[in-house]
Amino acid sequence: MFKHILLPSDGSPLSEAAMRKGIQFAKTINARVTGFCVTPKLRYFSYDSDIGREFEKQAAAAVQAEVAKNLLAIKKAAKEAGVACDTAQEKSDEPYEAIIAAAQKRQCDLIIMASHGRRGGEGLLLGSETQKVLTHSKIPVLIYR
Amino acid sequence: MFKHILLPTDGSSLSHVAIQKGVQLAKAIKAKITGISVIPEQEYYLYQMQVQVKEETVKQHKVQANRNLSVIEKAAKDAGVPCDTFCEISDYPYEMIVKVAEKRGCDLIMMASHGRRGVGALLLGSETQKVLTHSKIPVLVYR
Repeated sequence: MFKHILLPSDGSPLSEAAMRKGIQFAKTINARVTGFCVTPKLRYFSYDSDIGREFEKQAAAAVQAEVAKNLLAIKKAAKEAGVACDTAQEKSDEPYEAIIAAAQKRQCDLIIMASHGRRGGEGLLLGSETQKVLTHSKIPVLIYR
Repeated sequence: MFKHILLPTDGSSLSHVAIQKGVQLAKAIKAKITGISVIPEQEYYLYQMQVQVKEETVKQHKVQANRNLSVIEKAAKDAGVPCDTFCEISDYPYEMIVKVAEKRGCDLIMMASHGRRGVGALLLGSETQKVLTHSKIPVLVYR
């Protein structure tokens, strides 16, 4: 069955819940997982300036700290469950593209993600990145609510 | 983990792929499966004089639905997976799929990204989209 599951995470509570269920699922089918985070390319300022550069540097550091925390949480959950785990991160302004590219590059055969991420909330709609992953992925996608 | 997988089918070739994969998964995780085929109620036959026509179409749809369901039954039997199948009547397949999943205590719905009306390579099938939007149960989408 599935051998290698990609677990994209944006650190939101729903994505964390999906990640934990994904790891449980991986455990039952003896699959390995790859935790994956996408960080935005930060471009807050159109003009080159000292203030802009300094701000972007700080913002990038803050995002990186957050991503490291998310990936660590995945590693920890996988380790506790005894599931082989890798993590990766990518810089992109289109998370869904980065997720699909990562799944293909790493030859994952399943993507597990939450129905909503950070910008979720709407009870009836699918999250935008989840929707786009579903639309563009050739690999099966398992969606958790 | 998952104990009971719902496999909706509309008889399209993509839904057959999802069936094969679903049965494989059920076998691997020792889950049982329930196959469901939804046939249209066709409420648009408004007039009494057409009741007969309506009954006749439902009858024909049922034959096709049972044929589709037998694909699931056979795949499950070959794999040694416990399997039940149902044919339901509704003009809103997604609603019926979600309802049946909840009623029968399924913990996973597995379906193809497109069904009979699928063509757009870039878009999700309409029923799949609606199931995803309304289901509280996890959905595994196959391409």
